[in-house]
Amino acid sequence: MDENVIKVENLVKYFEGRCVLDGINLNVPRGCIYGLLGRNGSGKTTIIRILLGLEPPTRGRTFLLDAESTELSARLHSRIGYVAEGHNLIQSYRVGRLIKLCKDLSLQWNDEFFNHLMETFRLPTDRRVKELSIGMRAQLNLALAMAIDPELLIFDDPTLGLDTVARRQFLELAIDLIQQQGRTILFCSHILSDVERIADRIGILAAGKLVVDCPLEELKERIKKLRIIFPESAPPNLYLTEIINQQIQGREMVITVANWNKQKQTILETFKPSSCTEIPMSLEDMFIECTKPNPKYIES
Amino acid sequence: MFALIKREIQDHIVYFIGAAVFSAVFIIMSISLIHQYDPKVPPVFSIGLGIPAVTIVIFGICAMGATQMYLDKTRKISALLSTLAVSRSRILLARIITGILAILILLVPQTIASGILLRIFTPPIPMFPGMVFEISLVVFLMAFACYCIGLQAGWNSNPLTPSLGALFLTCIFIPLILIKGFGVHIVVILVLFIAASLIRTWRTFMTTSL
Repeated sequence: MDENVIKVENLVKYFEGRCVLDGINLNVPRGCIYGLLGRNGSGKTTIIRILLGLEPPTRGRTFLLDAESTELSARLHSRIGYVAEGHNLIQSYRVGRLIKLCKDLSLQWNDEFFNHLMETFRLPTDRRVKELSIGMRAQLNLALAMAIDPELLIFDDPTLGLDTVARRQFLELAIDLIQQQGRTILFCSHILSDVERIADRIGILAAGKLVVDCPLEELKERIKKLRIIFPESAPPNLYLTEIINQQIQGREMVITVANWNKQKQTILETFKPSSCTEIPMSLEDMFIECTKPNPKYIES
Repeated sequence: MFALIKREIQDHIVYFIGAAVFSAVFIIMSISLIHQYDPKVPPVFSIGLGIPAVTIVIFGICAMGATQMYLDKTRKISALLSTLAVSRSRILLARIITGILAILILLVPQTIASGILLRIFTPPIPMFPGMVFEISLVVFLMAFACYCIGLQAGWNSNPLTPSLGALFLTCIFIPLILIKGFGVHIVVILVLFIAASLIRTWRTFMTTSL
């Protein structure tokens, strides 16, 4: 059995002649919580839809739990929990009916756990799905996804449209559930603080390419933002490779560099700077840097 | 599979009720017509009743197939179902079985009633053995063909092609029935049409984005 629960091989997807995914390669090992980031329209949802077999790829192959996405059997689907962007539930159904339908169509259903979640969320079963608030729909979707005791959980922007309180509540519950069970999770979002809280590996999509694919800690190690003060005016060029961003103002230079190492440090020291301090970067800062038009330096 | 069929029936219950009501009305009208049958009077009223009845059946069944597919597409029902332990082929199969059930609810009572009535009363036209079955089979296949056209029309973003297909089919079948009557030739054509139509629907549904 392959240790990678999710495998994406050279995935290409075109929509009406527009390239959305351009040769994506991605592996998510068992037990990993993978945060897939990208701006709106960067192709996060498309990757997930192709993985689940909802969308055909233009080229390339994707695998979930050792099976090709285009040939996922009902038995394999029963091991995958999915919380869709916008909470793709049948809006005209009453909550109770939707639950019964999902239960009837599932090969395994943890009644006790599901009822516990329903009580925690206080979801009314007699109301129609369309009458629920977005937060309630998110909770219902999460409860339905968790009730089947999935081996693999796919969250596609589950907190989209939720207010801060509902988002925090949703995430805390999700984190609880994730920690209890130790599952593989693909978490897709553009709310970076959410991903930072739970992900242990990060992928960043920009311009149809996966420009970052590494553990979160490694990403923090690899991208450095430095404030350098020179005795006189800052030199226009430091002759460093892999500079993502550079701003000069008098004696001060702020640079963001990928793959910072001793060699680069030595080159910098030849310019005899008065001081060189590292500016701490949040995941959001890194994301902004990585999704700029010149992201090739951060490729794994 | 049962849960899927149950869902389809519940979601489109109006067509099942419609089929049952239509069937009951048709049987009552048939009894009434046979009761007052007069060979000297031309069957204008019967023809007048038959044409709108056939039109309602054709449009009703076609509309059922179209509604099933259209609502699925707009409400993203299959997108949800196929993330559960259900394959796309099962979703479509359940849908087609539901369509067949609706057609059977419409036709079986009428077939049984026609059989009984023809035994009780003297038939107005000469009969041959198995005639009721043969006519019922052709009517069933025609209804199913209409249903298949509906399935295609409901899923396609451009329903013009299936509609033209329906028109073409009508243009072929009505003269065929009028000239040659019900028989094996029409059954063969209908079966071929249904097979082609189902394969096309199947392929589209299995490969399209949900």
